[in-house]
Amino acid sequence: MAVVTGRSVEAPAAVKVAARGVRKVFTSRQGVQRAAIDGVHLDAAPGEFVSIVGPSGCGKSTFLYIVGGFVEPTAGGVTVDGRPVRAPGPERGIVFQESALFPWKTVLGNVTYGLAEQGLPRDRQRAVARMYLEMVNLRGVEGLYPKELSGGMQQRVAIARTLATDPDVLLMDEPFGSLDAQTRAILQIELNGIWERTGKTILFVTHSVEEAIFLSDRIYVFSARPATVKAVIPVDLPRPRDRDAIIQAPTYARLHRDIWELLRHEQKTDGERGRGDGH
Amino acid sequence: MATATSPSLDERPLGTAGQLSELLLPFATVTGVLGLWELAPRVGWLNGGVVPPVSEVLILIPGLFADPVFLPNVGASAFRWALGFALAILIGVPLGALMGRSQLAFDLIDPILTISYPIPRAALILILVLWFGAGDVSRVGIIILGCLIPIVISSYHGARGINPHLLWSARALGTGRAAALLKVVLPAALAQILSGLRLAIAISIFTLLASELLIRQSGVGAYLFTLLDNGQYHLVWACSIVIATAGFLLDVAYVRLIGWLLPWMEGQV
Ligand SMILES: Nc1ncnc2c1ncn2[C@@H]1O[C@H](COP(=O)(O)OP(=O)(O)OP(=O)(O)O)[C@@H](O)[C@H]1O
Ligand SMILES: [Mg+2]
Repeated sequence: MAVVTGRSVEAPAAVKVAARGVRKVFTSRQGVQRAAIDGVHLDAAPGEFVSIVGPSGCGKSTFLYIVGGFVEPTAGGVTVDGRPVRAPGPERGIVFQESALFPWKTVLGNVTYGLAEQGLPRDRQRAVARMYLEMVNLRGVEGLYPKELSGGMQQRVAIARTLATDPDVLLMDEPFGSLDAQTRAILQIELNGIWERTGKTILFVTHSVEEAIFLSDRIYVFSARPATVKAVIPVDLPRPRDRDAIIQAPTYARLHRDIWELLRHEQKTDGERGRGDGH
Repeated sequence: MATATSPSLDERPLGTAGQLSELLLPFATVTGVLGLWELAPRVGWLNGGVVPPVSEVLILIPGLFADPVFLPNVGASAFRWALGFALAILIGVPLGALMGRSQLAFDLIDPILTISYPIPRAALILILVLWFGAGDVSRVGIIILGCLIPIVISSYHGARGINPHLLWSARALGTGRAAALLKVVLPAALAQILSGLRLAIAISIFTLLASELLIRQSGVGAYLFTLLDNGQYHLVWACSIVIATAGFLLDVAYVRLIGWLLPWMEGQV
């Protein structure tokens, strides 16, 4: 991307994460090639909170994996701070759809893992880990192994593990999907707070339109598989946002309706395509 | 807040009656087999000269331990077994794990495994002896060769089948590609590697004895063969029982040790 100096009307706003024409084709075991993502453009400005919504199986996770540098795109590419993404890096933290904790490490061991990789002294590691465990509302489980926790608790540990290393860019794949409504609301508020304090750039995949509106600056609506960007919707609600107040706002209702409309349409076309597949 | 429960007790869906029969049934089976063994030679179903009643065999075991050459022979065998097994782990686990994570390593190593897999280990003993002589190199070498393949294969499958999100998590938390092999692939594949090792223990004891029976000179297998040569069939039985018991205890100890050392592991090896 061209470096822009001086004031210019056409100058693109500063970009933290830029996806250009990202395409991903998977080859099935029978050798059939099918695109999961078909030319996605996406920008996230520094410190921007961007959500991605779309029908199940459309390619949202795959897209995040490409930004994370875990999966190579078939075509197109992603830059972070203008540098092409070629491999995973600690400046891009990820929270997976399912917790992906290290089963051989205790809760504390999981959260200190990345801090140890950063070379923090042991007592610092512990102090930082405890702080983040507290933040995700977990107390008294430090010494337990992941298999001894419920799914929602595991997910909160995973969130703490990723936040603890303080990455510049946060990739979150339905991080609150497995949580009960109350914990979910608490963590949404926490995440919103962390984002406001730290200025992280966040790419957030969710199935909850409500959650996307509450948290985001902009929402990308993906089409059914193969994913393309169906719409980009700015969330023009003032910040700081109050969860209860927002739901009353007329803007909220309009956004909610618009996004639902887009998603419902996609769900339908997905069904039609699905029939033609002939599995 | 959830508390840790002891899975070994709570996971069993059986009631107290079930737990009781779980204890009693193996006991009953063993007693039955021993009873039959005692009875068969006495009533003439089996030739008592070749298969003596179990009681006559068991009383010979203390005498076996009193024989000044018995324990040194056991020690020699145990040493060679431990050395061979340890070397097989040191070679086999990294090799298999590498094959599981690198297509290049797989393409290079797999043909060798495919070719050597069907070769009987017993045939290799003689080849090793021709090559290296009848010393410790051959004796340890055969143990390594005997259990290398199950170790490599289980490590390969373990490393290949790990949840990629574990590896990706570590990489995104700052772990380098090579370091991740040790920090993530190895522990993530450990359950499967350990099952392979358990199989390898059984195989390695078999190859150990086979080699000692063939090469003679020293070791518990050689001791056994001398008893056979001397026609001391009762002692052959006693010695075999000691070997079988040692193998059984080794297996039990292995499973217990893992349960104790690795409390995070799901299920059993
Ligand atoms: N490794 C793979 N090999 C083959 N196909 C894959 C692979 N990974 C994903 N896919 C396919 O790509 C499509 C997109 O998958 P992806 O997991 O990105 O969807 P998603 O939008 O995250 O869905 P969900 O909302 O249900 O999590 C799916 O149809 C899936 O079957
Ligand atoms: Mg997904």
